[in-house]
Amino acid sequence: MSKKLVSLFLAMLMVFSMTSVLADDAAVTVTDMYGREITLAEPATRIVALQPSDCEILCAIGCEEALVGIGQYCDYPASITSLPKVQSGKETNIEEILNLNPQVVLMNDMSQSEDQVKQLEDNGVKVVISTTSDIASIYTAIRMIGTLMGKDENAEALIADIQATCDEIRAKTEGNEKSVYFEISPPPYLYSCGSTSFTHELAEICGLKNIFGDQADPWLMISDEQVIERNPDYIILMNGMGAEGIDEIIARDGWGDITAIKDKNIYYDGTSMMTRPGPRLKDAVIELYNFVYGDEAEEVPAA
Amino acid sequence: MQKSRLLLRERFSPVTYLFLSIALFLTMVLCICVGSVRITFSDTVTAVWNAVWGLPIPQNIAKNIILNVRLPRVLCVTLAGASLSICGAAMQGLLRNPLADGSTMGVSSGAALGAIIAIVIGFTIPGSAYGGTMIMAMAFAFGSLILILSLAYALDRSLSTSSIILIGVIFTMFISSIISLLITFCSDHTRSLSYWTLGSFSGVNYDQVKLLFLALLLCGGVLFRFSPELNAFAISEDNARHIGVNVKRVKLIIMITVSVLIGVCVSISGTVSFVGLVMPHIARMLVGPNHKRLLPASLFSGAIFLLLADLVARTLLSPIELSIGVVTSMVGAVAFVIIFNKTRKAR
Amino acid sequence: MLQGEHITVRYGSFTVVEDLSFHLEEGQWLMLAGPNGAGKSTLIETIAQGTPYTGSIRWKGEDIRSLKPSELARKIGVLAQKNNVGYAYTVEEVVGLGRYAYKSGLFSGRDDDGKAEVEKALEITGLSELRHASMLTLSGGEMQRVFLAQVFAQNPQVLVLDEPANHLDLKYQQHIFSLIREWLKEPGRAVLSVVHDLSLARRYGTHAVLLDHGKTVSQGLIADVMTPENLKQVYGMDVYAWMREMLSQWQEPSQPDAGI
Repeated sequence: MSKKLVSLFLAMLMVFSMTSVLADDAAVTVTDMYGREITLAEPATRIVALQPSDCEILCAIGCEEALVGIGQYCDYPASITSLPKVQSGKETNIEEILNLNPQVVLMNDMSQSEDQVKQLEDNGVKVVISTTSDIASIYTAIRMIGTLMGKDENAEALIADIQATCDEIRAKTEGNEKSVYFEISPPPYLYSCGSTSFTHELAEICGLKNIFGDQADPWLMISDEQVIERNPDYIILMNGMGAEGIDEIIARDGWGDITAIKDKNIYYDGTSMMTRPGPRLKDAVIELYNFVYGDEAEEVPAA
Repeated sequence: MQKSRLLLRERFSPVTYLFLSIALFLTMVLCICVGSVRITFSDTVTAVWNAVWGLPIPQNIAKNIILNVRLPRVLCVTLAGASLSICGAAMQGLLRNPLADGSTMGVSSGAALGAIIAIVIGFTIPGSAYGGTMIMAMAFAFGSLILILSLAYALDRSLSTSSIILIGVIFTMFISSIISLLITFCSDHTRSLSYWTLGSFSGVNYDQVKLLFLALLLCGGVLFRFSPELNAFAISEDNARHIGVNVKRVKLIIMITVSVLIGVCVSISGTVSFVGLVMPHIARMLVGPNHKRLLPASLFSGAIFLLLADLVARTLLSPIELSIGVVTSMVGAVAFVIIFNKTRKAR
Repeated sequence: MLQGEHITVRYGSFTVVEDLSFHLEEGQWLMLAGPNGAGKSTLIETIAQGTPYTGSIRWKGEDIRSLKPSELARKIGVLAQKNNVGYAYTVEEVVGLGRYAYKSGLFSGRDDDGKAEVEKALEITGLSELRHASMLTLSGGEMQRVFLAQVFAQNPQVLVLDEPANHLDLKYQQHIFSLIREWLKEPGRAVLSVVHDLSLARRYGTHAVLLDHGKTVSQGLIADVMTPENLKQVYGMDVYAWMREMLSQWQEPSQPDAGI
């Protein structure tokens, strides 16, 4: 009887100790933004990130060393551009990714096919899907990548920092009624952004009304008549035309009476921070705030 | 039986032209009055009327939208529709091929490639904002036409309907792969390059209207002058030679004229497909195949068609714009099948 | 009037017409005869400047290559063997194009006798009734008459005809051939034609060139060319015996028509 008890106790002890070994292990489990659960034996140390925003998040939480390869369009921060570049998108180069021998590939769900994902996973590479579009999804992505890399505290600190800046500016600009027009592509294919875009939220934080905020699509081809009709107070150009874009928009026939053009309230964004839903959102908000309120309010220093 | 064949008598009368010009005028008025932004009819008329007579325009009227955005666009669309349509009519006559057209044969794609190359290599002509792309578009349109025709001759001396179309399709695919290649290698231009193949009249101005008007006046005049020769070619190239047409020279002149006109259109609006294919057929139903009547009728019907297509593109999903190429292709593809089927049955 | 000297036509390495010479003088009707593939139609196309050749073709001593196409068309009217139309032109429009060579100048469509010539051409070919008919609705014979009318409207000095009787029924065969013979009676005119039917050739021709595989077998007066020996050499059969046998079918119940 007591023998039995002792053996039972020992068995229980064993089980307990085993589970405690498992729990104590460095294994990480994340739910990616596609709802899939991915478990790694330990936080990733070799990672390929195909999306520019994911690269920026990795660097912002102090994991730049873990990056072993980047997607072809990744360009920020400048220090990562010397890393091996991999074709991304529809023609994602699986061979090159495998050659870099990463534990994890971070990619979006836009053009990569399920077959490509399967091919990577069959070869022992974990695929984590990260899709950022609005600010909430940026926070989700930062948390997810933080867990993946074992840098949860850094991730939370980053989010808190961004949130603090946003809240500060939101408070300062409360009650502003000015409107803004974002131009992503010049005529004849005039593109702007609607309410589901990250850019729209930027405007909101700075107390600006996106003139195409009544449209749901993130990007849309719009009528030039509508821009004139909606008469924005500010124009933000991200249309790839360089600084000359400002002269070009001023010279457009029929646009002369738009308030933003009359008052020369046109800003050209040569960086990608206002179009890329990533951690530089903080810089973008500051930039936009300084452009709009720079003359009257005290500047918010860029971090 | 004899009676049924006399249908062609009096099928044409000056009334047809009167009807066509009234229809064009009404369509233009409609397109100026209706747009993505709602402006009342009386405001529109006041703005245009006062502008024409140099009178001051009341402050409360959105004169910028009417006079500087919508009017130049409507004029540009009218001229481009007319130009593309007479080019199609001329090519269908010259090649005796009812499916010939700048877009089906790949001439428009060639012109687009020329314009893109001009942008990539930074080819400009001092003093003219559009000169560089325009010249390159014309040169490439002509080069493509020569290339396609010599290829077609090499494969099939009779230049049959299907062999030209086949080569046109292959050529268009070839050109679009080159365009993709250029876009890959010149990613800093990506934005301005990748949209060339869609076609749009958004943001056109009066300078472009003037250019198109000049091109249409000149090239249209030349084509109209050559309508007897086009008739002869439409019957057959051999017949043209037998009645004394200088076959080589006339062919060259018409091909250059068509290339210039297509080049100008493409450099302004990108490639707009199917106008030149479909509208000459409608015109032929109205006035018969004689180019003396067919060319003016194509001119009117092409303008009306493109105006309506642009109206749909501008207003259907307002404030979102559709690409005009999307609208013309949808209508055109269906028409293409009908025409192809009809010509096959006719043989 | 029209003179061909050492004409040679090659398609690649294949020689279609070899070193052919001919003379056509005022008032003559020169028949080109020979079996299929002898190069008759090619010679017609050569005269129409529709195919590259070596040698020369002269109009009253002048190389026709130096003539403007419209000048040539006013001198020589060509009827091709195959004619078809892709669009619904009217008969009148097609015949009217025969006047093209007379409309000179950049924008002038002036051609004062044009209307009368077209009218006459429509009438003599029996097409006045069909003038507004669409070309797409015509029968083969009607189509042939339209293009004949076009050549007549062109009012040339020499007619060069490839199978003018193509698709024509008997009535129009006789009609057209008599018409051409009438036309020929005016001074300063001549005819050169390919006629497959040897009886027709013999009946209307004054002179002949007999061709075989692109080479001239015999030429001269029609009677001297169309001898039993020459025809046997070219066609590989006794043409005379065959023709006689054909005619013998027509002795009952009535007399054979001499014209056909």
